[in-house]
Amino acid sequence: MSAATHPARGPGDRLTGLFWRRPKLLTALLLLPPLLWLGVVYIGSLVALLVQSFYSIDRFSGLVVPEFTLRTYGELLIPSNFDIILRTVTMAAAVTLAAVVLAFPVAYFAARHAKGRWKAVFYLGVMLPLWSSYLVKVYAWKLILAKEGIVTWAAEGIGAGNVLSAVLATPVIGGNSLSTSYIGTFLVFLYVWLPYMILPMQAALERVPASMLEASADLGAGGWRTLRSVILPLALPGVIAGSIFTFSLTLGDYIIPQIIGSSRFFIGQTVFSLQGTAGNIPLAAAFAVVPIVIMLVYLTLARKSGAFDAL
Amino acid sequence: MTPAVEFRSVSRHFGVVKAVDQVDLSIAEGAFFAMLGPSGSGKTTCLRLISGFEMPSAGAVRIFGQDMGSVPPNRRHVNTVFQDYALFPHMSVRDNVAYGLMVRGVARRARLARAEEMLALVKLDGFGDRKPAQLSGGQRQRVALARALVGEPRVLLLDEPLGALDLKLREAMQDELKSLQQRLGITFVFVTHDQSEALSMADRIAVFSEGRVAQVGTPSDIYQRPATRFVADFVGSSNVLPPDLTVALGGPRAWASLRPEAIRLVADGRLTGTVTGARYLGAGTRLMVQAGAPPASIGPRADGGPTDAPRYLGQDENGIAVLVPAGVAVPEVGAEVTLDWEPSALHLMAGEA
Ligand SMILES: Nc1ncnc2c1ncn2[C@@H]1O[C@H](COP(=O)(O)OP(=O)(O)OP(=O)(O)O)[C@@H](O)[C@H]1O
Ligand SMILES: [Mg+2]
Repeated sequence: MSAATHPARGPGDRLTGLFWRRPKLLTALLLLPPLLWLGVVYIGSLVALLVQSFYSIDRFSGLVVPEFTLRTYGELLIPSNFDIILRTVTMAAAVTLAAVVLAFPVAYFAARHAKGRWKAVFYLGVMLPLWSSYLVKVYAWKLILAKEGIVTWAAEGIGAGNVLSAVLATPVIGGNSLSTSYIGTFLVFLYVWLPYMILPMQAALERVPASMLEASADLGAGGWRTLRSVILPLALPGVIAGSIFTFSLTLGDYIIPQIIGSSRFFIGQTVFSLQGTAGNIPLAAAFAVVPIVIMLVYLTLARKSGAFDAL
Repeated sequence: MTPAVEFRSVSRHFGVVKAVDQVDLSIAEGAFFAMLGPSGSGKTTCLRLISGFEMPSAGAVRIFGQDMGSVPPNRRHVNTVFQDYALFPHMSVRDNVAYGLMVRGVARRARLARAEEMLALVKLDGFGDRKPAQLSGGQRQRVALARALVGEPRVLLLDEPLGALDLKLREAMQDELKSLQQRLGITFVFVTHDQSEALSMADRIAVFSEGRVAQVGTPSDIYQRPATRFVADFVGSSNVLPPDLTVALGGPRAWASLRPEAIRLVADGRLTGTVTGARYLGAGTRLMVQAGAPPASIGPRADGGPTDAPRYLGQDENGIAVLVPAGVAVPEVGAEVTLDWEPSALHLMAGEA
């Protein structure tokens, strides 16, 4: 031992020394497992999916022909398939918009005003629904929205039964009951994905310094102006992050529309049935590529419009 | 003339913390007014009472004679340069500066042109396209200044705007701010805890202590005629002499202040002592002197008792501070020195009972 150093205390200290001399070694070791997982399992299967979507199916034998062609993608455009895509994307967009509107006040309150105990109440309130099974929640909603369910009962109880009927009489989005209409599907999607919008939004709002809002007011801005010109632009990365969740989760889900709603297909259900009973893997793959492309386009547009400039 | 800003026994309490306590202030239009005080003395809170981000718990704030009790911040004709600048990170420098005009509905072309003028005023022409993150601290400070000035406020509030700058830049900005204020004729209310900044820039200074105003006056009032022990000590770290010692040194029975730079090292003087410490300041050296028995030239106490100056000075472990200017030989620690000063240097503090 010398006067200038402490003695090494064992292999831990020697390892620390090694990493200190070669910082890249530590980075490499830390990144190896996730890179393997992402690279091989995740990206690999995505590539396999992409490749499959360029194959086609032989109409007579029903077998996959492993030759590259765009025919399968062409099939996406026939009206019955294109309707499915349109229906799913519209639903995802509606759910996302509604989630933004509903989540903002909650996230804003939590970020700006909630302290200590209220903050805990907020986190608990937002996360609690995530702790119970997704299927249980969806079936619970089916009962809530059913014709004999509590919503109908409550609406009739307060004398709003005719309002409910009028809403259900709306063409396209209406139906026999809430649980068999698009409105029902929408409500359940909104309920199930809302936490995924609130949490990133709250994190983004939390990062907007209070002095920024004061500076805006100091320069003469009222509440709306500050919201539009300062808060929203600064919170936009959080809104985009949340919308990626709600949008892509809705695009890919196949259980909710199957249990609640008109029995018309969404992308997820179509993929499920194509790869199963129909055995048309190429078309299933092509359908599965649609949400990926939509998300890529969405992110590109968001970036172009400067949504991430504040990052 | 109506004062630009007036506090009428304004208090702002946070629970038991009296951040601002019964403050009366009157800031004349066109003044460069400094609020000086140690950390936590209530300066920022006072500024926020003017801008409207705090409401008084009691009392009234008036701006140009109008009571601000029900006027929200965005409707006060007052702008602020924030301590952390609070520039909008997602906007270009030009848009930041033009923000106040956009809010008021000035057309895009006109407001951007005006923003360019303001940028030129703070010597940042050509920086309009950058984002705040691409500027240095001093440049950000100028943008914040331009942004606050673009709406031609009648009162500009500045919360330690120079705190984050290095000494050189700070001095340059002090000069610029001062000349800008004189050119524009706007009332500046400037918060700082740096006494030399306040003394060199302000026309009037309010010294804050624990939420109260200890003294308001011109820089030379504050420096040469401190009203209280606190002011004497905080502004220029003066020697504060208790009444008994003032008497022992030939004055009346009252608290007095004696500036370190007013004391000279002489061969034969009013007080002898031992040097117990020295701190090199560059422009001079600050000595701590522990007084021994006063020389015979100091007369007996007025009440006939024994002269107990040493006890007073001995009790205060810091002793008496003496500023030895550069060029004068500095005595070693442990050396015996004799001190002298002009009788007029002994200032009696009216604010101390
Ligand atoms: N929102 C608040 N809640 C509770 N206490 C507060 C609040 N704002 C200020 N205070 C307290 O009021 C006192 C004065 O604070 P203020 O910020 O005005 O001090 P300051 O003179 O500006 O100090 P500094 O030089 O450190 O900025 C401090 O004790 C502070 O802790
Ligand atoms: Mg402060």
